[in-house]
Amino acid sequence: MSPKTAKKVRENIYGIPVFILLIILALLVLIPVVWMAFSAFKPEKEIISWPPTFFPQTLTSQNFVDVQKRINILQYMLNSVIYAGGTTALAVIVNSTAGYAYAFYNFKGKSGLFLLTLATMMVPFQVIMVPLFLIVYKMGMYDSYWGLIIPRVVVAGSIFMMRAAFTGLPKELAEAARIDGLSEFGIFRKIMLPQVKPAIITLTILSINGSWNDLLWPMIVTSSTEMRTLANGLALFIGQNTIEYGAAFAGALISLAPMLILYIFGQKYFVEGMAGSGLKG
Amino acid sequence: MKGMIKYWNKPSRCAYLFLAPSIVLLMIFNVIPLAAAFGLSLFDVPMTLNSAEFVGWKNFIEAFHDDRFINSLKVTAIFTLIEVPIQVAGALVIAAFITKNNLKNKLLRAIYFLPVICSATAVGIMWRMILHSNIGFVTATLRSMGLGKINFLNTPGLTVFVVGFISLWRSFGISAIIYVTAIQQVSASLYEAAEMDGAGKVRQFFHITVPSIRPTFWYILMTRFAGALQIFDIIYITTNGGPNYTTESTVTYIYSRAFSSASSMGYASAMSVILFTVIMAVTVFMYRKMNKED
Repeated sequence: MSPKTAKKVRENIYGIPVFILLIILALLVLIPVVWMAFSAFKPEKEIISWPPTFFPQTLTSQNFVDVQKRINILQYMLNSVIYAGGTTALAVIVNSTAGYAYAFYNFKGKSGLFLLTLATMMVPFQVIMVPLFLIVYKMGMYDSYWGLIIPRVVVAGSIFMMRAAFTGLPKELAEAARIDGLSEFGIFRKIMLPQVKPAIITLTILSINGSWNDLLWPMIVTSSTEMRTLANGLALFIGQNTIEYGAAFAGALISLAPMLILYIFGQKYFVEGMAGSGLKG
Repeated sequence: MKGMIKYWNKPSRCAYLFLAPSIVLLMIFNVIPLAAAFGLSLFDVPMTLNSAEFVGWKNFIEAFHDDRFINSLKVTAIFTLIEVPIQVAGALVIAAFITKNNLKNKLLRAIYFLPVICSATAVGIMWRMILHSNIGFVTATLRSMGLGKINFLNTPGLTVFVVGFISLWRSFGISAIIYVTAIQQVSASLYEAAEMDGAGKVRQFFHITVPSIRPTFWYILMTRFAGALQIFDIIYITTNGGPNYTTESTVTYIYSRAFSSASSMGYASAMSVILFTVIMAVTVFMYRKMNKED
């Protein structure tokens, strides 16, 4: 056996425990999620039976009916859709126009404003949540959709992402369009924006995911039951030390399902958006 | 009207129009709140929010004599010590194993990343049920092995590690994927040269991979540190600080002092300022270290 093949053999032997480790990690992720998904379709009697089952013995949709009886989960879903949809729609407009301005224009105070935007990335939300609540309260937006949405629209990270995307485009494109008599906003909207579609999709997906999963801000800025989002409504439901396990499983699955679907179709964008930031740092 | 459009259509002017919404929103909802956090920390703000009494450093002095606050700093430190090393070092090792773009690795990456997109609420509910002392299958398995009935989420001394694990479970994938992306950027010729020299995979990892991805290493270290110091969501869903405050992190305590019945916005702000100082100090310290290295 040549030394080279000996090395190959050795590496393959090492490969087995590594592979087992990787599989264990994968199971550690999958089993809990699958167990929860299955449990959402088990009758309450089976959930509390001993020993616990993994696969459902009988399938039922009763849990989904029960959870609606206990909390108005349809309303919570609607609120989550409004929160995620509203924030995302505005975020795409505001962050992409800002990113475009930093990428394409030269103007007085550019580096100062850019630095200011950069600095806000360093401010943790948890640190400013108290004054933020007071500001929203004093502006009369407490316990309203506006209060939920408006403060969460601008994200410095998104501005940077859009700026990076626009920076890659040739300036001649804008010049040519200007000569053709297109307005500045027209150039942005009709020529430039379509060129950065992947960045827009990434921004959209990250923003939807972020606000759909957001727990802290909805808890701070809403008080009435009708304003609760899925994330905070379910948190409060489970917080009452509920013994309706089936309903809790069903609720968690309802809140998870849209993100799972989004992940299946947009995994590439999730990874690019979240991992990409690590490379520029 | 027409003249106005013409006026603003000049590139150097319309830039401000493009920027205005973001700057205004950043000012109102980021810059002013940060300044306000510092200001508020010097005041007593009653529940009615209609008045504020200047109290100077009183809130800060109170914080450092508040056992619950000191405890929350300790708890936060424990969470940080559980999470950061595994995220920074463990995720790198795992990432090195799944860098190659084949079907097996792509599948593993997709699985590891899955918890990142799940809400803390769903993850928290899920683990509460899995570890539930009566219906959880982990508890049941341990019981059938004769290990007794362990109450994972209600045992002082143990629960903090359990919550730390859940938090880690949720965010491990992000570090791993960031590392994978970084390792993929390392020039393949470096590995080929090492291969020719007869260096094994382990040596390649320590002599090529690790030095090449240093900026990413620092990025993950800094962001994970800052993130761990702000831990809140998972705690709120799983234990809400219990049992007996053993899992009450600083943000959890700030939240309860700001928004519960014993609301004290000024005091909560003072604690926020202290937390901010700690986060900034750690970040700046690491940033300096990183720059020295280059």
